[in-house]
Amino acid sequence: MSKAGRFDPVLLLAVPAVLYLALVYGIPLLVLLGRSMLAGGAPSLAPFIGFFSDGFSWIVIGNTIRIAVLVTLLCLVIGYPTALALARAKGLAQALILVAIILPLSVGVVVKAFAWQIVLRRDGVVSQIMTGIGLWDEPQRLLFTEAGLVIGAANVFVPFMILPIYSVLKLIDPRLGEAAATLGASPVYRFFKVALPLSLPGIVTGIAFVFSMAASMYVIPNLLIGDRFQTLATMTGRSFLFMRNEQLGSTTAVVLLVLTVAVVVASAALSKRLGGAS
Amino acid sequence: MDMLLNGRLSRRSLLRAGTAAAAMVAMPAVLRAQTKELVVGGAAGHKPWVEQVVIPAFEKKYNCKVIFEGTRSLVNLEKMQKNKGSQYMSVVQMDDPVMILAVQEGLLDPLTPAKAPNLADLVPGSTHMDGMWANYLQPWLGVAYGKSTMKAPPASWAEMFDAKYKGRIIIPSLQNTEGLPALFVAGLLAGGSMEAVQKDTDAGFKKLAALKPNLLTIYTQQPQAYNLLEQGEAYMIGPAMSSYALERKAAGAPIDLAAPKEGVFAMPSGIAVIKGAPQAELAFAYVNEMLGADFQSKLAGPTFSLATNKAVPKPEGLGADVKIHQIDWANVAKQRNDWIKRWDREMAI
Repeated sequence: MSKAGRFDPVLLLAVPAVLYLALVYGIPLLVLLGRSMLAGGAPSLAPFIGFFSDGFSWIVIGNTIRIAVLVTLLCLVIGYPTALALARAKGLAQALILVAIILPLSVGVVVKAFAWQIVLRRDGVVSQIMTGIGLWDEPQRLLFTEAGLVIGAANVFVPFMILPIYSVLKLIDPRLGEAAATLGASPVYRFFKVALPLSLPGIVTGIAFVFSMAASMYVIPNLLIGDRFQTLATMTGRSFLFMRNEQLGSTTAVVLLVLTVAVVVASAALSKRLGGAS
Repeated sequence: MDMLLNGRLSRRSLLRAGTAAAAMVAMPAVLRAQTKELVVGGAAGHKPWVEQVVIPAFEKKYNCKVIFEGTRSLVNLEKMQKNKGSQYMSVVQMDDPVMILAVQEGLLDPLTPAKAPNLADLVPGSTHMDGMWANYLQPWLGVAYGKSTMKAPPASWAEMFDAKYKGRIIIPSLQNTEGLPALFVAGLLAGGSMEAVQKDTDAGFKKLAALKPNLLTIYTQQPQAYNLLEQGEAYMIGPAMSSYALERKAAGAPIDLAAPKEGVFAMPSGIAVIKGAPQAELAFAYVNEMLGADFQSKLAGPTFSLATNKAVPKPEGLGADVKIHQIDWANVAKQRNDWIKRWDREMAI
């Protein structure tokens, strides 16, 4: 207790960041929260009651969670092996993989979404390959479907899954795997009993990153699926920008915030527990 | 000054110093005001034709300087709200739905035949809410189609509903102004009159549900929709704005715009004088010129729009007998959010 009670002056280094966030993020956030609990000038929970008693709101919440979960899963399936390869690679190969992961981050989301629009069209590359190898009988369109949205969004967010996993994998002592091997563990056994448990904190961090970004994305669904598929984020944007319904906008924004904060906090707690266990 | 030097600052001396400083800063503005200056707010997309056609002609005729601020309609509205009581803009060019909001906030100065004589020469339905604003140009809404994907131009709005165009049709979102007539078209096709289908959209919604299998998407970003049309993924966009579709055609895109037999819709481009406007007389003169046959005949071509002055003929590509429907924007303003609610539920994937 005495150790925790002593003030560490290094903590002061966080002051600029805290002040900055309080000013540009904290205060507007409080205004938003306050506004979502006002109905006709008086404090009230009516906006939330109204929102949650509408069946359509649950469809929108369902859309948001389903897409975020699917994007996160796809990122994990693609990202984990890449992170493994990246951690194992050396020299030029490692540099090439890193560049391939980081460089696309400098291409704007809008450009990527437009590129996917071309790829996912009926006469696009995906459709041509699928009909070419005989999996599809006729050209099909993935554009403006949920599958297309998941594929496109995963492309944008996958670096945020790879990098945290990679940074944890890199720290694992390679001798642990070798030790397991000398004791007769097969590669598959070694992966599931040694590498995977040790890399769990990275996985949890990656999931938190990707999930919160996928749940709140606005531009990508706008371009890849359009107006017929509402998520909490697209509904918030539209309420503020077009319908001038700030009440509904702040309500949906707060619901989205609670949802993503819950996932991030839960994963942080999980990460701590898993990290402590090792 | 001695007070300042002595370090004993009274409120009065500070005030005096402040006034002097303010006068010095304000001086150039006073000098500038001697050559009359008119600030017009409008859409960013208007900038080319306002600066190339309107401003040179107006400045020459009235010996003044016109500054055009191009942005979005809702931004213009905000500028007017923030500066209420001390407006710096005199004239505003905005979409009608936003004009209604400006009227509700008491930001506009009504147009009268005495102040803008050209009002008398406009086609019926071009002035709104007791002359609060007038339409100077009206882009029209028809069906845009791909010239390589469609054998013949669509003759009727009903073609968009034809089962052979499964997944090939794009319509605008109801949140876009040009998307509203989709609902009215559906009502017309279900057998209603233009007046009835605007008041009660139930039949329109039911008819629109039949369009769902044909929908490629519902757009909110116009350029994206035209990309899909030009590349052949989409066959038709409807309602499509003449000011956009025909501009793309003029730029060489393989598309064209058809005027279906049930008629086309007039899109609103409103102009109004701001209440408490500086140079009010000049402001009314500007609006009057924009409503006159001379300016409108020069603008109808480059903006691919209908003129509202009776003396200006209909543009090329739109037959003389085509019916042009006017939209009741006050009714739209009242009901739009409810329509969007229903649209979200019934048009979802």
